[in-house]
Amino acid sequence: MIARERLNQFREKFGDAIERADLTGETRVFIFVRPSALKPICQHVSQELGARYVISIGADDRPYSGKFLIAHDFAFDRVDLLCSVLAYVPPQNPTVESISGVVPAANWAEREIMDMVGIKMLGHPYPKRLVVPDGWPDGVYPLRKDFAWNQAPQGFDDEREFKFDDPPEGCVVVPFGPFHPTLDEPAHFRLYVEGEMVRGCEYRGFMVHRGIEKLAESVLSYNDIPVMAERICGICGCVHSVTYAQAVESATGLEVPPRAQYIRTIMLEIERLHSHLLWVGLAGHVLGFDTLFMQAFRIRERIMWMAEKITGNRKTYGLCVVGGVRRDITPELKDELVDVLDTLQTEWRAVVGAVLKDRNIQKRTSGVGIADAALVKQAGLIGPMARAAGVEIDCRRDHPYAAYNKIEFEVVTERGGDVWSRLLVRAKEVFQSIRIIRQCLEKMERGPIEEKIADLLPVGRIGLSSVEAPRGECHHFIITGENNRPRRWRVRAPTYQNLQGVPMMIKDQSLSDMTIALASIDPCFSCTDRLETIDLISGVKRVWSPGIENLIGCKKG
Amino acid sequence: MARDVLWMFLKCFGNAAIVLLVAPLCHGVMRRITARIQSRQGPPLLQPYMDLLKLLGKEDIESGESPVMQRLAAYLAMSSALVVACLVPMGVASPMSRAADVIVLIYLLALCGICTLFAGLAAGSTYSLIGISREMMTMIALEPLLVIALVIGAIHMRSFQLDRVLGGSVYAIGGVPWSGLIILVVMIFAFQAFVQRVPFDTAEAETEIMEGPLMEYSGPKLALFKYAQMCRLVIHCALFVSLFVPFGSTLPFPFGWLVFWMKIFVLILAVTLVAATHARYRIDQAIRYFAAMMVVAFGALVLASFGM
Amino acid sequence: MSLLSKAKEAIICLKAGRVTLGYPAEARPAPTNFRGRPIFDPTKCIGCAGCANNCPAGEILIFDVCQEIRVLHYLGRRCTYCGRCADVCPEKAITMSQDFETATDQIGDLQQHLELFMSTCQRCGRCFKEPSPLEQLKLKGYRADDLENQRVILRSEAYLGNEPVVDDINIELD
Repeated sequence: MIARERLNQFREKFGDAIERADLTGETRVFIFVRPSALKPICQHVSQELGARYVISIGADDRPYSGKFLIAHDFAFDRVDLLCSVLAYVPPQNPTVESISGVVPAANWAEREIMDMVGIKMLGHPYPKRLVVPDGWPDGVYPLRKDFAWNQAPQGFDDEREFKFDDPPEGCVVVPFGPFHPTLDEPAHFRLYVEGEMVRGCEYRGFMVHRGIEKLAESVLSYNDIPVMAERICGICGCVHSVTYAQAVESATGLEVPPRAQYIRTIMLEIERLHSHLLWVGLAGHVLGFDTLFMQAFRIRERIMWMAEKITGNRKTYGLCVVGGVRRDITPELKDELVDVLDTLQTEWRAVVGAVLKDRNIQKRTSGVGIADAALVKQAGLIGPMARAAGVEIDCRRDHPYAAYNKIEFEVVTERGGDVWSRLLVRAKEVFQSIRIIRQCLEKMERGPIEEKIADLLPVGRIGLSSVEAPRGECHHFIITGENNRPRRWRVRAPTYQNLQGVPMMIKDQSLSDMTIALASIDPCFSCTDRLETIDLISGVKRVWSPGIENLIGCKKG
Repeated sequence: MARDVLWMFLKCFGNAAIVLLVAPLCHGVMRRITARIQSRQGPPLLQPYMDLLKLLGKEDIESGESPVMQRLAAYLAMSSALVVACLVPMGVASPMSRAADVIVLIYLLALCGICTLFAGLAAGSTYSLIGISREMMTMIALEPLLVIALVIGAIHMRSFQLDRVLGGSVYAIGGVPWSGLIILVVMIFAFQAFVQRVPFDTAEAETEIMEGPLMEYSGPKLALFKYAQMCRLVIHCALFVSLFVPFGSTLPFPFGWLVFWMKIFVLILAVTLVAATHARYRIDQAIRYFAAMMVVAFGALVLASFGM
Repeated sequence: MSLLSKAKEAIICLKAGRVTLGYPAEARPAPTNFRGRPIFDPTKCIGCAGCANNCPAGEILIFDVCQEIRVLHYLGRRCTYCGRCADVCPEKAITMSQDFETATDQIGDLQQHLELFMSTCQRCGRCFKEPSPLEQLKLKGYRADDLENQRVILRSEAYLGNEPVVDDINIELD
């Protein structure tokens, strides 16, 4: 078994730095190490073993073990293994060595840990605030257990401003966002432009941070969370609820009935269909080609109606509960779905056939926003970004979940690494999704759709789950807890990782290409941010970032 | 003499009134046809009139770095468009043909473009400055094409007078008018850029630079600018028709007049179809395209000077 | 060649025709499976408060006026139409209607207020069987007009006022 082999290899190499290891199945390894050994082990895993970095998590474990917990998740794509390197950090002045020096993709995750849990990362190359707003007082860490979910911190400073880096010489500052017609959600790219060429940028985001993880730990219960998880994103909601449910099931050893697995697969692929069609339309709109936008949305509308008929809503399917799904697919729905897929395939084939030879679109998208295989590996980019550069990673094949191990499909890749390649990858993945749904509908067996849970779920277990969202790998980390809710839930949306590659992508490209390059990662800032306003039942709403006005105020120079 | 002057005034007024009345309708037709190509219903044909009325009723806000220049740019946009309307024949002979010649026409057309420059400068924000730099690059690359066309006509007619040049003069030599045909082809390919529609509307790329020069405009001033843009569409179409497709315009009134407007309508249809089916070009791609056109146009000019 | 592909694209567009729907001039009902506004049926409700306990948005409020009277108040402001209340309800007293046109400027229009007369189980005081350990009901007694299970009801002095539970939100428009 690969997991056990890997574990033995670690033991040989690092010996007594490893305090404990858990093998919770063939595909999950949890290695608890001494804090001082975190960096060398992560370096070994990432550079020598070639694993892909996924996310780092910081958790306040003081009520249970008296210490803080840090976890670094890695994925061994070729062998279907998710591995987590964990360490307990003493509670007084918690400090560890940053791994961003050796794993550049960990940059944001560590900054977030510094902001939210307060574990200092020594040697981090860019330890600026990432998530908390400008006026947030120092030394107050929202994800600690002693900070209540509805607490307003003392000493919030309205006047404090964010200090931007200085632009390089000869460059004018062009603020892109937080309000911009192309962006559906707020994000701020502070571009340094020389003439019409972008020479660099600084990114500020997390303006729609909603405190989901804190709510999950404090207020919601296990089966409430999927309903909220599907609202993390405006397009890929099903993915988050399925990933969460799978993480809990992996942590607690629940077996989901096969019919439920098939239904989850079908709904995930339906979501991929509508997301990719939406993206192609959006790309057309950003390029000024509104006709492509309208046609893509017209073709997509039938899928939305079908999803509404199956699940009760066009987008927020309300599909998952821990242990299964809530609604079944009846034979009438199945027939209708097959019809919709047939129509969709014919129409989309016509569109792709026309767009493939369209030199007008190619001129705007070829050679633009290049993210080659080297950048993909360095920044840990995932999804169509990676596949368009020739790096063949796809969680459906590499870490099979739901019913994917029973289905045949192709992983679509291209070689160009530019926006045109990404467009081709997404357009062709539509056909693969249709193929998958057809196979699921045929192979679906009869049976229950929900697992009967007899006892309370065990406490303190760790679960990991990776699902291929339309944008890339969506990864959830969960520690189960008391009171029918988890102790810690960490959501890593694919855009979180892909955004870190954007500054390199837009460097030395024209300003007009900025928007299409950004749009080509299919950004979902809501997935990335996960929140800022805390709504109380009493109706009081607090907004934590008055600093936004300062950002919009950037006019000339 | 006084009667002539009065007659000229009336004709100018008529031209301007026709342009003002018809321009929003043309714009409405464009929007409707674009919508049908995009499989949707589209706004009513009279929607642009209602949009302009709505804008006129809004609060007149002064913003940007230089509110005075903002106001003046809006007035200049509309007035320069209307003055050019008075110079261009709209189915009848040009009203002011004895008061001005082709050179004045060229400069007034350039003035229409300059007012966008003023608008962008008045706003002073980074995006509007980027927008006007693109607008200026486009103008520098584009205006010479029209100039060359008019000059070819002037060379053939041996006169700069408006009513002689704007009457299909590019073909006015014996034998096959090579220079005329070449410049006709060039203008067909460049026409989309003159009327600032996709794929050549980089200066006001909404999705990229948030409307560029017009960013700070709202309310009545925006109405003036939008109206000026609509009028410019009609005026450019009229210029094109007068220069290159004058056949049938010499029929007696009202037939010649109707034929003229039908030709304008066909031209607008062509512009809409191209605009609906293309993506927007980047500024450097657009400039390269215009440069290629310019080379060909110069070739036509050389041919014209040799009498071909 | 670009012109050919543009022509193909144009043909796709024109073949599709006009797809604009006449909504809202023409009604367009939602499909039967649609999860619209939840409707609470007071005749079936037993006051177990399972819906309140399992509402992710916390939009269902329960309070006991006295031993016999329980008030269930559905606020409807942040309801996400997830349907968890309908799933959990042991008596199927909540139906997700097909109603989605719920825009209003009076928050009271969306509220549903149920006043339930409760009785106590003589043997254990309170017991409802939960569907699963993850779906917890609040444990309270049976309905009073359930004659077979009727028990002694203690008289009370409390009374129900007329004040609304949640005030209307006043939005000032210029």
